[in-house]
Amino acid sequence: MKALPRILLLLACAASASAQAATIEMQVSGLVCAFCAQGIEKQLRKFPATADVAVSLEQKLVAVALKDGQDIPDAELRRALTNAGYTVKSIERTETPIAAVRERLKQSKP
Amino acid sequence: MSRWLLAFGGAFALAGSTSVMAKPIAFAGGSTLMAEYGAGTMEELQFFYAPRYDFSFGGGYLELTSDETTKTRYLSYARLNYLVQRWNLDDAQANVYIWGGLGNATGNTFAGSAVTQNAGVQADYETRRVYASFKTDLQRSSDFSHRIDTLQLGLAPYKHEYGGVATWFLVQAREYTGGIHRGAETAVLLRLFKGGVWVEAGVTNAGKLQAMAMFNF
Repeated sequence: MKALPRILLLLACAASASAQAATIEMQVSGLVCAFCAQGIEKQLRKFPATADVAVSLEQKLVAVALKDGQDIPDAELRRALTNAGYTVKSIERTETPIAAVRERLKQSKP
Repeated sequence: MSRWLLAFGGAFALAGSTSVMAKPIAFAGGSTLMAEYGAGTMEELQFFYAPRYDFSFGGGYLELTSDETTKTRYLSYARLNYLVQRWNLDDAQANVYIWGGLGNATGNTFAGSAVTQNAGVQADYETRRVYASFKTDLQRSSDFSHRIDTLQLGLAPYKHEYGGVATWFLVQAREYTGGIHRGAETAVLLRLFKGGVWVEAGVTNAGKLQAMAMFNF
């Protein structure tokens, strides 16, 4: 029964996936200090295509939810993360809603 | 100075490579406001704006009161900070910063005011559990010269996460040249930060308050 809310959330996320835009997931090097990582959100939220941003120090992951039908070029993403002080290792575009990404990150906390 | 370098080198080795401290550059388009109360010997207020991730400019105010005499010094300065090198590793980040600037000083050991030159270096290394930094900051004029060397080593009791509260326990060693303070001053500190707010406070070996606050925005 404890898992029911989580399952419902994932189902809701999946059901709305078609209506939601894609998420960009970036593996980032140097991501060890939350205070220093404040710039990541500030840089990424400057893009008109950004709907939401999630950051995980544990997974060294930065996720950007895109607005419907919009995208951010890889070069712009790399520049934004460099401006925030970090180095992008990889960029992957998925259809996973950012709520599900957050849930996954929550599960992976130490 | 050589013993500081030895200590820093040892800390670096212990940490598994190098060291961090309050960074003079936040992020491109970001500002940093720092205020420090240094156990009655120094008080400093700084503000920097970073147009780029590797460069910031701003200024500060530094007040020094010697523990040996009644020597006092008041400095206002403008400063440029530059990120010489950053290492973004899988589980760590390390940085080397340099800075320089010009200012104006008054005090009770010389008449009138003096033009000052400022130069400094900071090297830092941190993982989510280990932190080390070394900073040396020189102020000189035709009437005086002093340098403040600060070493900090820290351990985090847990790995903090973005959006949560970070907790660090630190030891700090500081040495002043130029007759500002006799011998090395050590302190134990508790550092907390969440979001863009950073506070740390502790006590020195002389039982005095050592505190710092920093805001990134």
